[in-house]
Amino acid sequence: MKHKLLPLSETMHYILLALREPLHGYAVMQKIEHMSKGSVSLAAGTLYGAIENLSKHGWIEPVGHSGRRKIYKITEEGSTILKMEQERLSHILSLYEEGEVNEEV
Amino acid sequence: MKRFKVFINIEKEEEWLNEQLQKGYRCTHINSLGLYTFEKTDQKYVMRLDYQEYLPKEKLEEYIGIYEDFGWNYIKGAGLGIRYWQKEDNGQNEIFSDRQSQGNYYKRLMNYSLWFGMLCLVFSFMIYKDTRLYHEGLWDMNGALFWKALIFETPFVLLKLLPILMAGIFAGSYYKAYVKYSMLREKS
Repeated sequence: MKHKLLPLSETMHYILLALREPLHGYAVMQKIEHMSKGSVSLAAGTLYGAIENLSKHGWIEPVGHSGRRKIYKITEEGSTILKMEQERLSHILSLYEEGEVNEEV
Repeated sequence: MKRFKVFINIEKEEEWLNEQLQKGYRCTHINSLGLYTFEKTDQKYVMRLDYQEYLPKEKLEEYIGIYEDFGWNYIKGAGLGIRYWQKEDNGQNEIFSDRQSQGNYYKRLMNYSLWFGMLCLVFSFMIYKDTRLYHEGLWDMNGALFWKALIFETPFVLLKLLPILMAGIFAGSYYKAYVKYSMLREKS
């Protein structure tokens, strides 16, 4: 059976992408706001729960502290998940493009 | 201002605390007996309640730290896992921003109702196992004496029924949380 976090929700997807560089929680939210051009604004409880969930599954891990804040980074396993999601999404994108070609014909 | 109040349903409690804020009273402390302390305020605040079972010290620090970064203040509550958050009203007033985390929240509320409801049931069983609600002798009494004894004993009987009543209310709030949880699940 498929992993219960797959396919990735928008929140999880953005967090994994943001954590390709090490960041603490609040910085993750800020980065995602920037990456999504302001369309994804995570709330505190959602961010906390997602970090909990992702580290429980070993897709991200704490790599240090900045003051009292914990810094996280994506793991090997997390990167594999992103790779799989990328393939899934590019396939869907290719179907979009096929559709456009068919319409032209 | 101090108010005494007991809530079984966490969402009702959140609603009540926000009603007090609309009247200009900000909650500053909640003790374990259900005594809420308020102070008058001119500013606009919002309150949000989360439920997190026991968090070890390090987890709790991280949990509080992330919320504080978003501008939320942690209000010491009665324990029992209900987390009280307060913040100045600035339009960004929710603690959950997606369906998944909102659903997980209702899942936690279901667990909360389940455990406390079970506790009430166990407690009820312990009480009712070897005592009857009314004294046996009561039913042999006649006339005025019977009525007087009945009226005298009834408040105690109601007290004895309290745990089973509470178990019923917990069952109700379990069901409410379950309905909201499954509605969120269906859409995703």
